Amino acid sequence: MFHFPSWTLTIRDTAGLLVGGGLLYVAIIVTFGFSPKTTDVGYQPTQPVPFSHAIHAGELGIDCRYCHNTVERAGHAAIPATATCMNCHGMIHTESEKLEVVRDSYESGESIPWVRVHDLPDYAYFNHSVHLAAGVGCSSCHGRIDHMETVFQKEPLSMGWCLDCHRNPEPHIRPADQITNMNWENDAELGAKLLAERGIAPSQNCSTCHR
Amino acid sequence: MTDSQIKYWRSLDELAQSEDFKQALDREFPEGADSVEGVDRRRFLQVMGASVGLASASSCRWEKTTLEPFAERPENRVPGVPNHYATSMEIGGVAEPLVLTSYDGRPVKVEGNELHPESLGAASTFAQAAILELYDPDRSTNPTEGGAARTTEQFEAALGAVRASHAAKRGAGLAFLSRVTNSPAIAEAQRRLKSDLPQAEWFEYEALQRDGEIEGARMAFGRPVRTHFDLSKANRIACFDADLLGDHPGSTRMTRAFSLRRRPEGGSYDGVNFEGAEFDSANLDGATVMNRLYVVEARHTTTGASADHRLPLRAEQVGAALAALEAALVAKGLAVPEAWGSASPAPTGTLFGQDSRARAFVNALADDLYRHRGTCVVAVGGTQPRGVHALAHRINALLGNVGKTVLYTDEPNAERTSSEESIETLVEHMNGNQIETLVVLDGNPIYDAPKGLDFGSALGRVKNSIHIGLYRNETARVCGWHAPLAHFLESWGDALAWDGSYCVVQPLIRPIFAGRSALEVTSFFATGSWSDAQELARAGCTARLGALSDKQWQLALHDGMASGTASVPVTPAPQRVSALSYSGAQVDAAMPANGALELVLYGDPCVHDGRFGNNAWLQELPEFMTKLTWDNAALMSPATTDALGVTTGDMVTLTISGRTLDTVVYAMPGQAAGSVALALGYGRTGAGAVGGDSEKGVPAAGFDAYALTSSRATGHETGLTVSAIGRTYPLAMTADHHLIDTTGMNERDGEWLDPSQSYPDKTFEMEGADGEMTAVALTTPTLVRAYNKKAREGSRVAELVRSATHSEFEGYLEGVADDGGRESVVDKLHAGHGEDVLTTQDAHADDAAHAEDEHGDDHGDGHGHGPHYVDPNKIKRIGGPELLSLWERHSYDGHRWGMSIDLSSCVGCNACVVACQSENNIPVVGKEQVLRGREMHWLRIDRYFSGDPESPKVVNQPVGCIQCEDAPCEQVCPVAATVHSDEGLNDMVYNRCIGTRYCSNNCPIKVRRFNYFNYHRDLKGGDRDLEKMSFNPEVTVRARGVMEKCTYCVQRIQAKKIVAKVDDRRPIRDGEIVTACQQTCPADAIRFGDLADESSVVSKAHASERSYDLLKFLNIRPRTAYLARITNPNPLLVEA
Repeated sequence: MFHFPSWTLTIRDTAGLLVGGGLLYVAIIVTFGFSPKTTDVGYQPTQPVPFSHAIHAGELGIDCRYCHNTVERAGHAAIPATATCMNCHGMIHTESEKLEVVRDSYESGESIPWVRVHDLPDYAYFNHSVHLAAGVGCSSCHGRIDHMETVFQKEPLSMGWCLDCHRNPEPHIRPADQITNMNWENDAELGAKLLAERGIAPSQNCSTCHR
Repeated sequence: MTDSQIKYWRSLDELAQSEDFKQALDREFPEGADSVEGVDRRRFLQVMGASVGLASASSCRWEKTTLEPFAERPENRVPGVPNHYATSMEIGGVAEPLVLTSYDGRPVKVEGNELHPESLGAASTFAQAAILELYDPDRSTNPTEGGAARTTEQFEAALGAVRASHAAKRGAGLAFLSRVTNSPAIAEAQRRLKSDLPQAEWFEYEALQRDGEIEGARMAFGRPVRTHFDLSKANRIACFDADLLGDHPGSTRMTRAFSLRRRPEGGSYDGVNFEGAEFDSANLDGATVMNRLYVVEARHTTTGASADHRLPLRAEQVGAALAALEAALVAKGLAVPEAWGSASPAPTGTLFGQDSRARAFVNALADDLYRHRGTCVVAVGGTQPRGVHALAHRINALLGNVGKTVLYTDEPNAERTSSEESIETLVEHMNGNQIETLVVLDGNPIYDAPKGLDFGSALGRVKNSIHIGLYRNETARVCGWHAPLAHFLESWGDALAWDGSYCVVQPLIRPIFAGRSALEVTSFFATGSWSDAQELARAGCTARLGALSDKQWQLALHDGMASGTASVPVTPAPQRVSALSYSGAQVDAAMPANGALELVLYGDPCVHDGRFGNNAWLQELPEFMTKLTWDNAALMSPATTDALGVTTGDMVTLTISGRTLDTVVYAMPGQAAGSVALALGYGRTGAGAVGGDSEKGVPAAGFDAYALTSSRATGHETGLTVSAIGRTYPLAMTADHHLIDTTGMNERDGEWLDPSQSYPDKTFEMEGADGEMTAVALTTPTLVRAYNKKAREGSRVAELVRSATHSEFEGYLEGVADDGGRESVVDKLHAGHGEDVLTTQDAHADDAAHAEDEHGDDHGDGHGHGPHYVDPNKIKRIGGPELLSLWERHSYDGHRWGMSIDLSSCVGCNACVVACQSENNIPVVGKEQVLRGREMHWLRIDRYFSGDPESPKVVNQPVGCIQCEDAPCEQVCPVAATVHSDEGLNDMVYNRCIGTRYCSNNCPIKVRRFNYFNYHRDLKGGDRDLEKMSFNPEVTVRARGVMEKCTYCVQRIQAKKIVAKVDDRRPIRDGEIVTACQQTCPADAIRFGDLADESSVVSKAHASERSYDLLKFLNIRPRTAYLARITNPNPLLVEA
């Protein structure tokens, strides 16, 4: 007659723990592993031109809106046209190898295929201009672009992350003249004052973003 | 029958309570609606392409997408921000002024040009659907020679050789066949053609022409003048087979003017009447505020559906009715001046016999017109013979309307011969071997030329036949050469609007398939080289208006027109018009025997003459009266079908003048007895994968009515024989789709008792005056009256559609003024009005009979205290218990969006349906799916008939989501995919929807649509990039298994809110946000705005005495209020 060896009793005794642990493991993996915080944050594709925001926005201190000039009046912040690059690079670093793609584009009229970093699902409609008008600064969503050699995604850009701010906007609101200030420190007290002054109440309706 | 006793029905099946109807009613969707069989047969191959990478881009981070900016961004071009450009579309020689919305260089939406008085922002269904046509993958992509593909260079070389050979002969043997055009640029190119190749011939043909009108003017005035009606000044309008609000080229403008005069408030809802003066509601004068429309016609047109009085007469009898009208006017003392000839004798015969309906109609009309001399209009339709038109000119002159409500301008091209004559001469010349080369510019004569001419065999005698068109259509397939034509949205050109003003055609996009426009081709033949198209257009402008400076030209391009260039009214001198006399035999009223029936061929309101046959939006658009999609049918009145022993869906053979056509019968209420109407434009065999293509094996949609034509396409002819074949044919009609449910229908029908029967006495427990309960026994007459009153009052349809006469409405307002009378008048207006006054005992019985009755009426709220939601918990319901809700009321701090739809103004033109489809990326599903009740239109127009099926009255009711406060859909969604926004919208979150369809099941209005298939993706694969271009990027493209519905164009709301916020957080102005349906409504029947703003037009409309909610008793409290239809019948004319 077959008897289970005595050590199998350990399995019996720990089975509950194993199953429970397994479930917990799956739950943790799914929750954190599939979270946009894991999958999306830190996405840093290689761009066709080794453009450095750290130099342009950081060292040189060029305002964001010099290149992303539609951001205050349109939904898209718009990648600048090649002609914008050539405003300066027609005169400086005219022979740089790194800028070959830019010069080619300018001469041929073909677009530079910049790789999209911040990408929302197509059923989510985000508008830059209205956020700027409300006093949400660039760095609130994009992070310290002025420190990035190559741009990467700083925030998860998930719906929960959006709603965090829509539900609790105070810390993220700043005066209109500080929108592009990369060194801005969040100030919830000032934010609350600005919100009240300007009558801003972020919407949490589905149709605000989904149409 | 008075209006308030109306029983409304949507179809004859419903009227007869047939088994089919009951089944349709019982089921949420028709049987088999959720099965997948028949997928392969479906014709949604052409339905627009795959969703814009929805699946791939949604969550998958690692798929690399690129952003490709301009190397140099054009001025005023902001990525993602739409630009608007003005252009125009020419149909039948008349321009429709348009404004196009273009996203990133991609035109996506057509709207009317607000600057132009002929549009005022409204656009026809044809123009709006041009977007789908532009991106149609079936469009011709390259030249062909004998069916074999050729390059553009080869074609142009061949064209050059042809031109050179004819240039040597001064153009002899060269002929052009164009559509009727009044483009000054083409006229200028033609002039140059004439000077270089003087012997070349130019023919213009249009199957749906208005030649009768032009010939009639020639007859009356000796020259072709164009007649304009100023309906804003017309108090009385009489249309004789004239569809002024439908197929008339000036219909958009006339509909606006007409509708303004259909509101008893006199214009808007803001207390200002149509003349801009303050409106005095206490002193309503129906005679001057509302117009009155009389229509005499054979088939039900848009105009007929809006009429106060409509007399269905066979088209051949319409002239007799006009002659009778003239005789009646003369009898009233109007004298026909010498210059106009002698008056028409009154027609004899039973039709206009002493006690006949036609006689009464004509007399009442004559009386009314006589009283309104100088402020009335008599109009005759384009397909009536010229003598009838001449007579109408004379009657307008007699009534003193000329120069006031009836204006004349010169026709732009006085020398043009009629289409009928033109095509006949061309065929004659081809048969006489006089034509060596025929260039067909954007036409399809093989399909739409009268079959009696046998255009095909004549074309066979032509050595070089060249077809230039949008599609490789029937004609292209028999021509030697074919080349693609540039779409009007890809071309430079110009055209003249109906008022004669100069309109610009400018390209929105470079030709997708390297086509050339008709203007360029004409100019090529004139000069031998391809010229700059903009310069050609400008040459036309110079010829028409004189040289414009660059700045003026830029302004014209910006405005889409040169303002102030409308034709100047002329006063043509009359000629003697011979009197029309009709003998009794000609106009006998009785139904003619089979074989002597009348056939009326008319242009289809959806696909026109067939040129839009491959446009899926238009094919699937339910025809406004029959609610047919994807088909035409032989329309006959119920009396005619009874006499012939056929019914809707039966196949029959129509035979006239030796020509036959097998088609399907449709029993059409309101069609004149003995008249059979069949729409042209169907049965295409060379349209494409949508409309039918014999080469690809796609069966034709509908039946080719041109097969029955002998010398002209439209008009009427007698001698029709109808014989049943013994087969049936499935018709995809939406009249009985989206019905209200059984409970409602039972309630609606109540328990009707037959007054001629006797019933056992019934005893009720009644509370007497002393508070004691006593038993009261009711005997038959009282019982019948009480039950029938309850049945009427419980009528649920009265909760859906309401209409009253002007005098009833006046009485109602008087009752309101006298506060105590309000309740009774409300009752009268909406329920048991017209009923005998009940005795005390009757009244008790009445109470007993509907102890639980909830004859919901909402005129209680809204009156005198602003917008609806004053005290949401206490919606006043007169005569019923207070409505209580289990749900906590929503509260609103900001906007409360609302809509009002005025049934008095709506003419049912369908423009809003196409606007909605275009704006919201709504898919087309194909005939088989429509048969299953799966059509996707978010906005439908419910068409209700009432009264005698031979001459019913019509109410049109556009129904989209009414955005209930306590929305039944929200309460049952298990995943919160439909939720209430804090601005009162029922938001639809497509990405949350899991497709349970509970919401649709629970929707009492049936406005939700389910994606049974991935309609936007071609199941068979393939490259759908072209069709993708037609999508509105502001609206999500829904995938399979998702429920969708109207959201008040929430993307437009958000866009304006963002603009206002960015613009220093200014408040949104009333009227700033317009929904797509509202924007294009020619009748201005739809208003949208903020109910929180008491001064908004929509608040005022909601506060109107006419305002009511759908299915009020359900306590769903919709945000869309309807305004009851008020008609203005002639008191003299009590219709049977």
